[in-house]
Amino acid sequence: MFDRQLQNRRQMLQTSAVGFGGLALNALLGGEAQAATKVEGPQAAKLPMLAARAKRIVFLFMKGGPSHVDTFDPKPLLTRDHGKPLPFDLPRVTFAKQGNLLKSPWKFKRFGESGLPVSELFPHVAQCVDDLCILRSVHGTNPAHGGALLKLHTGTDQFVRPSMGSWVVYGLGTENQNLPAFVTICPTLAHGGVNNWGSAFLPAYCQGTPIGNASLAASQATVKHIRNSRLSEDQQRRQLEFIGSLNQHHMESAGRNQALEGRLNSFELAFRMQATMPEVQDLSTESESTQRLYGIDDAVTEDFGRQCLLARRFLERDVRFVQVTHSDSEVQWDQHSNLYHGHTKNAAEVDKPIAGLLTDLKARGLLEDTLVLWGGEFGRTPTAQGNNGRDHNPHGFTMWMAGAGVKGGYAYGATDDYGYYSTVDRMHIHDLHATMLYLLGLNHERLTFQYAGRDFRLTDVAGNVAHDILV
Amino acid sequence: MVLLNSNQARRNVVVLSGLIALAVMFSGPSAFALDQPVSEVVSAADLEFFEKHVRPLLVSKCYECHSASDVNGGLRLDSLHGLRRGGDSGAVIVAKQPDHSRLIEAVRYQNRDMQMPPDGRLADAQIAVLEKWVAMGAPHPVDSTRSSNGRAPTGMSVEEGRQFWSFRPVADPDVPSVSQADWVANPIDAFVLNRLEEAGLRPASRADRRTLIRRVTLDLIGLPLTINEVEAFVADTSDDAFAQLVDRLLASPQYGVRWGRHWLDVARYADSNGLDENLAFGNAWRYRDYVMQSFNDDKQFNLFVTEQLAGDLLPDSTLEARTATGFLVLGAKVLAEPDMEKLVMDTVDEQLDTVGKAFMGMTIGCSRCHDHKFDPLTQSDYYALAAIFKSTKTFSGGNTGAIKYWNEHSFATEAEKEQLKNIDAEIAAKNKAATAFANTARTNIRTEAESKAAEYLYAATRFNAAATLRDIEAIANEFNLHARILHHCRKHLEFNHNGFFHAWHRLHEAGENGQLRTYYTALISAAMSADKSSAKAATFTSQDIEAARAAVKDASGFLAVPPKADYAFDTETLLEYFRLQEEARLVESRAMDEPSVMTVGEEKILTSLPIHIRGSHTNLGEPVARNFPAVMRSESGTSLPEDQSGRLQLAQWLTSEQHPLTARVFVNRVWTWHFGKGLVGTTENFGRLGDRPSHPQLLDWLAREFMRSGWSVKHLHRLILNSSTWQMASTTSEATAAEAEAVDPENRLLWKFRLQRLSAEQIRDSLLQVSGRLDTSIGGKSVPLRNKQFVFNHTSEDHTKYDSLRRAAFLPVIRNNLYTFFEQFDFPDPTMPTGHRNTTTVAPQTLLMMNSELVMDSADAFARKLIDQSSDNTQRITFAYQAAFGRHPTDIETQQAMAFVALLKAESFTAAGLDANDEHRAWATFCHSLFASNEFIYVK
Repeated sequence: MFDRQLQNRRQMLQTSAVGFGGLALNALLGGEAQAATKVEGPQAAKLPMLAARAKRIVFLFMKGGPSHVDTFDPKPLLTRDHGKPLPFDLPRVTFAKQGNLLKSPWKFKRFGESGLPVSELFPHVAQCVDDLCILRSVHGTNPAHGGALLKLHTGTDQFVRPSMGSWVVYGLGTENQNLPAFVTICPTLAHGGVNNWGSAFLPAYCQGTPIGNASLAASQATVKHIRNSRLSEDQQRRQLEFIGSLNQHHMESAGRNQALEGRLNSFELAFRMQATMPEVQDLSTESESTQRLYGIDDAVTEDFGRQCLLARRFLERDVRFVQVTHSDSEVQWDQHSNLYHGHTKNAAEVDKPIAGLLTDLKARGLLEDTLVLWGGEFGRTPTAQGNNGRDHNPHGFTMWMAGAGVKGGYAYGATDDYGYYSTVDRMHIHDLHATMLYLLGLNHERLTFQYAGRDFRLTDVAGNVAHDILV
Repeated sequence: MVLLNSNQARRNVVVLSGLIALAVMFSGPSAFALDQPVSEVVSAADLEFFEKHVRPLLVSKCYECHSASDVNGGLRLDSLHGLRRGGDSGAVIVAKQPDHSRLIEAVRYQNRDMQMPPDGRLADAQIAVLEKWVAMGAPHPVDSTRSSNGRAPTGMSVEEGRQFWSFRPVADPDVPSVSQADWVANPIDAFVLNRLEEAGLRPASRADRRTLIRRVTLDLIGLPLTINEVEAFVADTSDDAFAQLVDRLLASPQYGVRWGRHWLDVARYADSNGLDENLAFGNAWRYRDYVMQSFNDDKQFNLFVTEQLAGDLLPDSTLEARTATGFLVLGAKVLAEPDMEKLVMDTVDEQLDTVGKAFMGMTIGCSRCHDHKFDPLTQSDYYALAAIFKSTKTFSGGNTGAIKYWNEHSFATEAEKEQLKNIDAEIAAKNKAATAFANTARTNIRTEAESKAAEYLYAATRFNAAATLRDIEAIANEFNLHARILHHCRKHLEFNHNGFFHAWHRLHEAGENGQLRTYYTALISAAMSADKSSAKAATFTSQDIEAARAAVKDASGFLAVPPKADYAFDTETLLEYFRLQEEARLVESRAMDEPSVMTVGEEKILTSLPIHIRGSHTNLGEPVARNFPAVMRSESGTSLPEDQSGRLQLAQWLTSEQHPLTARVFVNRVWTWHFGKGLVGTTENFGRLGDRPSHPQLLDWLAREFMRSGWSVKHLHRLILNSSTWQMASTTSEATAAEAEAVDPENRLLWKFRLQRLSAEQIRDSLLQVSGRLDTSIGGKSVPLRNKQFVFNHTSEDHTKYDSLRRAAFLPVIRNNLYTFFEQFDFPDPTMPTGHRNTTTVAPQTLLMMNSELVMDSADAFARKLIDQSSDNTQRITFAYQAAFGRHPTDIETQQAMAFVALLKAESFTAAGLDANDEHRAWATFCHSLFASNEFIYVK
């Protein structure tokens, strides 16, 4: 049934991926950016395949690869055997040369009713530990950044394939016609760049809309071409009326055509987006206490705090997939050396904003049907690189979820005694994707798109849902 | 046959492919997989052991992925048959030989590439059960019903494949006779009309001359013509006026720009690698220019194919022919892939996928992991071809850190090489200057921080760990300290309570901050003093002194300088550092590249390659000899030289007139680019999942005619463009349309021309052309980066500019970050061959047309032209319509335009204040509106 719906939709899209059909032009000519009404056409909100636990998702992406053994996966034996060699084999391929075991510079303490341990790098997030479902056995990305980002975001490190956000939009459509269904805030342009939010062969409306990029401060981040620098709003409205009349004349001679009609609608949507986006991005309407909650009052946490608060504003407007990226012009979480200083700085920048977002979502009741996902493209090795760094580790690392449908205060899976390999309840990236889609009400084996001679899935030919983590 | 390859031998695993081998190798113990009734050898006790201990384990731990419901790896563990057969990688159990059984190897988790179950190792006791069971000879009850082998059926056998339409030889069909014979301008029309008449349909009437000239010029050169050229053609009523126009356009060098760009879509052309590490392809433009020149020269298409696949192997190989092989090197590669073997095979896969789709319309890439599910292509066919490309050199062997470089061929002169050395040295010096500056600045900050170490510790008592940076800044200022270091110092204290920091916490908690200051001032002063036996030092233990020294000197300790320059440096230092960095970047960006071409070479020749089981280079199967896919092999057999990769023979095979696909696929591409839809809609898939041809005879006739003409592309253009079929109007009367739509709603039979939206390049070039801003110069480098320079590193800063006024085909094509205008208007993903671009309509396109500088600047220039042209408003509007749409406005249109301009002039233009001239702004807004309208970006 669902496949057939997709098939029909696909046919429509071959001639026109208008996205937003059936909107009256007079709404535009009236000049009023109206409240969202029901969206029709291929992008219309669709009933999920399964009972959905989450309606939307926010992915807090820590670019560079935060170390799991220093954050959410304590390893007493690593401390005990500090300086000794790893007592088992290294993987066949490693990114860099690795030395002996390196203990964590940070202490872990237990928090909340669940008593789950969190290191002192994340004192604020630790307060929310009873909402976290800590996935300690994630594995299966590539050992290099580019490959790993692509694997995490698209399920493959070899080809350009649709990003996970675009699959979600393809499967579920949108509930807000004035905003894109998938936004990514300050994404990095390195290591896969646009491919990490692109739609590849899925219809164009599925692609993520970037708000700025990692080289810009969150306060400067905007959607491209969202404002006209030369005309006032009144003048632009008059211009649109005139273009409307030009198009009417053209339709009379060119004949009735779906694409031409579609283009009329695109003018309307563009004008609505132009009105809506600045309003969403205006954080000054938030109370001082909310701004403080996200750390916007502190230069250390301000940038990521703005991103998180902006994410909440998109989520509450039913944007389906929101990605927030912690990245900057340096090496992000990629501490091949100077682990201590780098991770201290990075954690200080994100800890409070993340806790703020979790707290705020919960207070507004949004956490009930919003899935929060946190993590990097891989973890880091328990072995040392140089004398004070850690190498990339795609063989076992930690991500966490919170919110809709997942157990809070729960730790799933495990790595070995030192944190090198995922060993118990291993969760491959495909499994993570399958589980994420399941929570959104999508069966990863049935969410397919036929392209170049075969059906494609986000999970390729793999993926198992981790039922143990579900509420 | 015993399969033993180096990879497996390394792991000391013996893999057996069949029953006979088992019998030979293990003639001693009775092998489980021997084809004999099991009931004879299984005792009741053994069966009980299986049912009690083994089966529950298999059910709970293995069946999820290896049973009737799911057959991962081709392996079923829920039946005797499945256990005997094994999976795609071969047998899993060698009876009585646990150490030689893959099942045991997998559950023991010894081999990192094969660990089962994947979500966690079994308990030791469970592993022991399986080991014991295998050692017993793996007793198992007989299957109650014979189960299937669990393999998905493959698509088509080779024999069936040869009967499939696209693998049959290209026919030489007779031109059909039709009743409306006067409509037939050439055989194309006869084939088309024949189908229409059969369906009871009539072709639309001929498009008017204005429509035709706009259509044909945008089609052939991608640009609108000037007003004078249009009017001259409209006035020319001679019979061959259109044919002459076609000839003139084909002779224009701008033809190669437009049609070369079509081929660049197929060649997934780009100026940067994209994928994981985005490095500039600083020499890709030479391939781009080769393609454009080839179209302008009407190079025989068979030669064009051969040069791209094997230009380096041609007997008298020229630099031009070598340049052509850039085709094979241009793909997106995972340059930082640490596993070189994977990188090579992934690259071979990319090449095979591209060659298959570009020349044969075949999705060969689908058979990397298994036989093609739909088409008659086996995994053996794949690795037989892969051997050719694995024998081909695509990487240079050079690298910078983790990043491997692609192959290039340098043709630099000695003088140039000398010059390049100097340039490289200059770039290195500039980079060094920036780094040295930063290092010195950092050392200074560090030294100063060390000299104030005790003050930092004291200042840190003045705020708690949750203080904001703003609060900390105030305190830092008071003590003349570095705020970020002080911030870190406080964090560090939060994490460190012992040794050197013990006193800080003890005294701070006791409220003795003054004492804390005195203590640390004395301690640090003693520790850092040159004279270690001084009186000061005597008051502390040598242990304390050492700890203090170590703490102060610890580069990542409590006085760590932030690694991020923005945080470490004051504004002045930061600006200077950025200036030096930018200077170095610019010197590099603008530096001369080594004159070289991206090209392949020959690698160690492999006459065979093992099948990679499930596509994995760590799981090798039976070797297959180099060859072409069985379904298309010529009867005379394949002969590949031992000392060459076989690319030249591949090209010769592809361009043989007996090849069923090459000519068909290409004429279909040309048809698609002229009509907006192919005779076969799926330009890259002529297989079972692709479309069937709407006009199979026409397709074959065109393919034959194309080969007869000596593979001349311009001959094809003339045939198509001079046909009545191509010259039909895009509209018919309502009644005719209703009738035709009832029979053929998708216009597959071609009863009218298809309305087409312009491509990204056509829209952008038309904007510049109409506004008089276009620079039509051709060729040369256009990416503003040096070869191999990072397009993006960690900074995400985009240094690529698109403000050039040259044709869009000469703008940089940056993978992972396409020019917004390209991206929004369906420029193809430059990582895979595209023969038919999408035409989507999405809101961001409208934002671009309404708000982008490109469109508004063009409108400004266009308005200036109007104003210069005439002082009369009616004339201005007429001129504008002629230039933008190639026609005169109607009276109503003129009136509406006048009213619009008047309205705008009546209002004050205060926004942005870009141009105080109301007259100009009003006309610019009018011009902008024309550009944004449908008529400008659609062609009838």
